[in-house]
Amino acid sequence: MKKRGKVKASTVLIYIFLILLAILFLVPLAWIVFVSLKDDKTLFISPWAMPDRLRFENYTFAWTAGKLGIATLNSAIVCVSSVLLCMLIGSMAAFAIGRMKWKLSGLVMTYFLTGMMIPVHCILIPLFTRFSAMHLTNNLWGLIIPYVTLSLPITIFIMTGFFKGLPNELFEAACIDGCSIYKCFTVIALPLAKTGLMVTGLLTFVANWNELLLAMVFISDDTKKTLPVALSKFVGPYNTNYSQMFAAIVIAIIPTIIAYCCFSNHIVEGLTQGAIKG
Amino acid sequence: MDKLLRNKMAIILFLAPALLLFTFVLFIPICQSVYYSFCDYNAMTAPKFIGLKNYINLFTTDRTMKIALKNSLFFLIFSVVSQFLSGIFLAVLVTNIKMGRNFFKNVYYLPCILSSAALGLLWMFIFTPKMGINQILAQFGIQGPLWLMDTKGFIILPMWVIAFVCLWQYVGQSMMLYIAQISGINGSLYESAYLDGCSKPKACWHITLPLIKPMMATAISLNAIGSLKFFDLIFNMTEGGPNKMTNVLATHLYEQGFKFFKYGYASAIGVILLILCLIVTFIVNKFIKIDNYEM
Repeated sequence: MKKRGKVKASTVLIYIFLILLAILFLVPLAWIVFVSLKDDKTLFISPWAMPDRLRFENYTFAWTAGKLGIATLNSAIVCVSSVLLCMLIGSMAAFAIGRMKWKLSGLVMTYFLTGMMIPVHCILIPLFTRFSAMHLTNNLWGLIIPYVTLSLPITIFIMTGFFKGLPNELFEAACIDGCSIYKCFTVIALPLAKTGLMVTGLLTFVANWNELLLAMVFISDDTKKTLPVALSKFVGPYNTNYSQMFAAIVIAIIPTIIAYCCFSNHIVEGLTQGAIKG
Repeated sequence: MDKLLRNKMAIILFLAPALLLFTFVLFIPICQSVYYSFCDYNAMTAPKFIGLKNYINLFTTDRTMKIALKNSLFFLIFSVVSQFLSGIFLAVLVTNIKMGRNFFKNVYYLPCILSSAALGLLWMFIFTPKMGINQILAQFGIQGPLWLMDTKGFIILPMWVIAFVCLWQYVGQSMMLYIAQISGINGSLYESAYLDGCSKPKACWHITLPLIKPMMATAISLNAIGSLKFFDLIFNMTEGGPNKMTNVLATHLYEQGFKFFKYGYASAIGVILLILCLIVTFIVNKFIKIDNYEM
């Protein structure tokens, strides 16, 4: 009896700790939304108070004057295309590495995995000079190509795990039925590795949506800027309009939150498969 | 069956796009970068070979480089240690509760998926001298420090602030990796341990920790490299200021390369960053030996 009471006390303590920590994580995020609905004057007087009335005009102003509309569109184009391309190219390579039989597969896998260790800063200058010679700077393709490449290692890592985990019998049966290797890939392997595709897609989307450095270096044209770059422009040396800046922050982070809500349940599953079997 | 899986043509077709992209966008530029680092090269002129001069300048005359190197190493050590401890701690707590497991997991992971650039602006505002935190402290009669402006001490206060913000943002990632590994552990191991009268903390120490060792190597090296690459938060919180005291290698490289257009010099910083990344990965994989347990 005494022991049960003790266990309960520890559970309560754990819950109190977890809830306090959750508040620490959520309050700053909720606060962004509050501030984005205030005007600057009340923000300076009492930044932590609730807004007196909801000023949605901050959003319209950030959207139009801050040129966030076009930036959101650019970000969406870049992200969607790089996610799709990366899923396709990455799972093709992962299929060849994880399922097919050839001597150098281990070596090629290592080659791809070293990509995870390489900081993007090292390739920034050669890539920039080459891309400007090829007129790929100030061009959304100039972002899509490196984004796909930089997301390939993690995609291949996770997808190889998934393909290795598929039962052999499936492929044998397909083979007896006269299925070609390409059909095996598109009809059997891809649909069965759906969870892996979702996880890698989400990781790629989040990483590319938030990427700042490449976007800042490669794009100087206002009509081609992506969201993270457009955000930095809200803080200027001359005037910083905080409530509009916060409205812009909300606009910038909502898509990743939505994407996360849709696919979050698969993240742990995907990481487990990729990490343990890969 | 075997013939199907050994189809050379198919293997080449499957691999070609990934290999080509990887080689042209990642591998060749790295080699070029190494070459540029030995050159006098800026936006106006073609690269001219000057030997080790860039590196000599970096380590002798460049005052910011010293600060950047110190800050980067501080960042590396701080984030590896803090994320390792708190990541495992959170993962163990979250997997041990019954109610609301998903809720806590998702809340702690949430900042990881948000833009560092956006969150950097948020924290910059919270830590401005007259507003944010200091206004709350003022109500209790405490005068808060100049969070992002202070320049005293070996590791200055803004670096600590940024390091904690970084921990806040990315601890969820380590936690998630450990949770993934923990949920792969066979439940019967715990059941038999509890039957033998093992307490929960003891089970955690003797079963969970040894079994998540393979993930420790992955999580720590991801963490370490992530902290060396770290750019967005610093760029939006302080831009390397005050007086260049919060520069890290990444911001120093950006400033030299794309504000002063010293491509060769910036490449040398990039090479040092790359070498650091390789050393760190090597050390982590050397010291955390991965033993394979049956799960």
